[in-house]
Amino acid sequence: MSGPAVRRPIAPARVDLAVRIGALDLRNPVLTASGTFGYGDEYAHVVDLRAIGGVVTKTVTVHPRPGNPPPRVAETAAGMLNSIGLENVGLERFRSEKLPRLRELAATVIASVGGETPEELETLLGALGGEDGVGAFELNFSCPNVAAGGARYWAEPARLESTLKRLRKLTSRPIVAKLSPDVTDIRETARACEAGGADALTCVNTFVGMAVDLERMTSRLGRATGGVSGPAVKPLALARCHEAAHAVRIPVVGSGGIASGRDALEFVAAGATAVQVGTATFSEPGAAARIVTEMRAWLAAHGIADVNDLRGAFTAPAAQGGSEVRP
Amino acid sequence: MTSRERRVWRQSAATVRSQREYGAGFRWLEIDVPADVTPPVAGQFVQLLLPPPSPVLLPRPMSIAGVRRRGARRTLEFLYAPVGAGTRALAALEPGAPVLLTGPLGRGYPLEEPGTPVLVAGGRGVAPLLMAADALASRRRAPVFLFGARDRSLLVGLADARTRLAACGGTLRVATDDGSRGHAGSVVGLLDALAPKLGPRIVIHACGPHGMLGALARWAIAHDVRAHLAMESVMACGTGVCRGCPLPRSAEARQRALAEGAAAAALRGNPEWAMCCTDGPVFEARDLDWDRVA
Repeated sequence: MSGPAVRRPIAPARVDLAVRIGALDLRNPVLTASGTFGYGDEYAHVVDLRAIGGVVTKTVTVHPRPGNPPPRVAETAAGMLNSIGLENVGLERFRSEKLPRLRELAATVIASVGGETPEELETLLGALGGEDGVGAFELNFSCPNVAAGGARYWAEPARLESTLKRLRKLTSRPIVAKLSPDVTDIRETARACEAGGADALTCVNTFVGMAVDLERMTSRLGRATGGVSGPAVKPLALARCHEAAHAVRIPVVGSGGIASGRDALEFVAAGATAVQVGTATFSEPGAAARIVTEMRAWLAAHGIADVNDLRGAFTAPAAQGGSEVRP
Repeated sequence: MTSRERRVWRQSAATVRSQREYGAGFRWLEIDVPADVTPPVAGQFVQLLLPPPSPVLLPRPMSIAGVRRRGARRTLEFLYAPVGAGTRALAALEPGAPVLLTGPLGRGYPLEEPGTPVLVAGGRGVAPLLMAADALASRRRAPVFLFGARDRSLLVGLADARTRLAACGGTLRVATDDGSRGHAGSVVGLLDALAPKLGPRIVIHACGPHGMLGALARWAIAHDVRAHLAMESVMACGTGVCRGCPLPRSAEARQRALAEGAAAAALRGNPEWAMCCTDGPVFEARDLDWDRVA
C-alpha cells in the first residue's frame, strides 16, 4: 500500500486481523501491556478475553517483591507517572497460584519475566519455559523503577545479546524482548536482541520521568523518578517503534500511549506487527477490546482485508531532512 | 468472598442527574446509573471518568455518600470539593452530562458486625458515613454519630446526618478543634469522653483525614474495640491491577495471616503493602501500620 490508494469499503467481518509473533498466532494484534491487566482474570468479568489478541501478565521475578513506597502513581499532562517497582508474588507462587488460573483463561497468555541478572532470567525461563498455559515470554529488560536490573542495566547491547543466547536454549516458546526508550539509539539494543535469538521486540516500555511537589519540595512519587505512560508518550513511542522495526527483521510489538484503533494502526503503519494497550485500560477496562473493534472498522472502511497488508505502509517524506531511518 | 467483597463491579454509561452547592466549598452530586449496577455497600467507592474533552486522563475515585432507587434506574450520591483539575471539571458538568462510572469498588464497612455502631466522621469524611447511617436505619439499628471538624463551618452535611439519625433514633454529637460548636477538641477526644456511656460493646466505622483515623485506630486498639476505617489514596486503576495505591500493613496483620496458615490468601501476595482499592478502602485498625501511614 503506497500513497493514497482508494479502495472500496468491505464488511468489517471480512477483515482478517490475525498476526504472528514468531511461532505464536494471535487472533488479532491487540495485547494488554504488562502490569496493566493483572493476570487476566481480574478483568474477565468485564472484558471478553476472546476479543483481544492476548494478555501480557504482570512481570514475575525469582523472589517476591513488595514494590516501592507510596505514592506510586501521579497524573501528569496527558499521561501518568508510575513507580510500582515490580510488585509481584515471585516465581514459586506464580507457578502454584497464577499459572493454573492462566491455563483457564480464554486468552493467549504471554508471561512477562524480569531479572536483575542473566542468571535470574535463566532461573525463570528454566522453571517456566516448558509450562503449559504460556504462549510466549516477554523479557522485561526495561523497568525504570527498580534499583538493580532495570532499564539502565539492560541497555547494554552486548549484555542483551549474550543473555538472550543463554535463554534461547531454555524454551521453545517465542521470546519477546521489551525495550526501554531511554537509550541513545534503540536500533542497537533492537539488533542485539535479534542477534541473541529474540523472536520479537516490544517497543517501548515507559519513559523515565519526574514530577516535583513544589509545596513539599520533593517528588510526587515515593522515588525521585518513575515511568511516564499515556497519550503524552505516543509520538515518542511511535518514533522509537518505527526506528526499531526498520532495524530488525523480527516482528515488533508497538506500545506507548495507544488509546484508539487509529493509534494502534499508526504503530502498524510504522512497522509494528502487534500493539499493546496499557494506561488506557486504567480509565476504561474494555479499552483493548474497543481498540480491536475500531481497528477492524477503519480497515474495513479503507478496503483493507488483512491487517498485515498495512504493516510498514508508512513511507517517510522523501524530501531531504525527512526520515533518518536507514534499514 | 464475603458480603464486603464482591467482584461485581462494571463500567457503565451514567448521567449527571444534578449537583448543587453544599456549603464550605463542597458540592453534592447525584449520578443516575443503570439498574443493573450492583447496589453499593457503604464505604465502597466508584471511579468516575469525565467525558471528553477532559483536562485529566485518569478516573477519580469517589466515595459513595448515598444510593436511591428511582424506578428502572438507581442514583448514586457523592460529596466532594472541587480542589484539583479533575474535580473542578466535574463541578462544571450540567445535568444530563455523560460520565463513565466504574464500580462499586473495594470493600465497604462490615455494618453487620455486632455491637453499638459508632460512626465517626472527620470533615468531608462524612460522605460514606451518611450512607452507613442510611443502611443502619434500614436495619433498624440506631448508631451514635460523632462528627468532628476544624471549625463549625466545616461540619458539612450536618443537617443530612441529623435527618438520617432522626429516622432511626440515633444520636449525633459534634466536636470542633476550635470549640466553635460542640465538644472543644478532636472527635477522638469526644469518643474517649463518651465511650463509658455507650454500652458494653461498640464497633466503630469511620472516615476522615489519615491523622484523625490514626488517632482513632490507636484509641480503638488501646480499648480493645474494633474500628473500620475508610482510607484514601491516589489511584490509577482502582481495580487492583496497577498496584498503585499501597498502604503499609501492620506486623500484626502479617503475623495473624501466618498463624492462620493462609498468609498467601489473606495478604494477597504482599506482606508489606495492602492496596487501598481492593484490600480496602475500609481497613480494620489492626491491619495497618499507623506509624507509616502517610
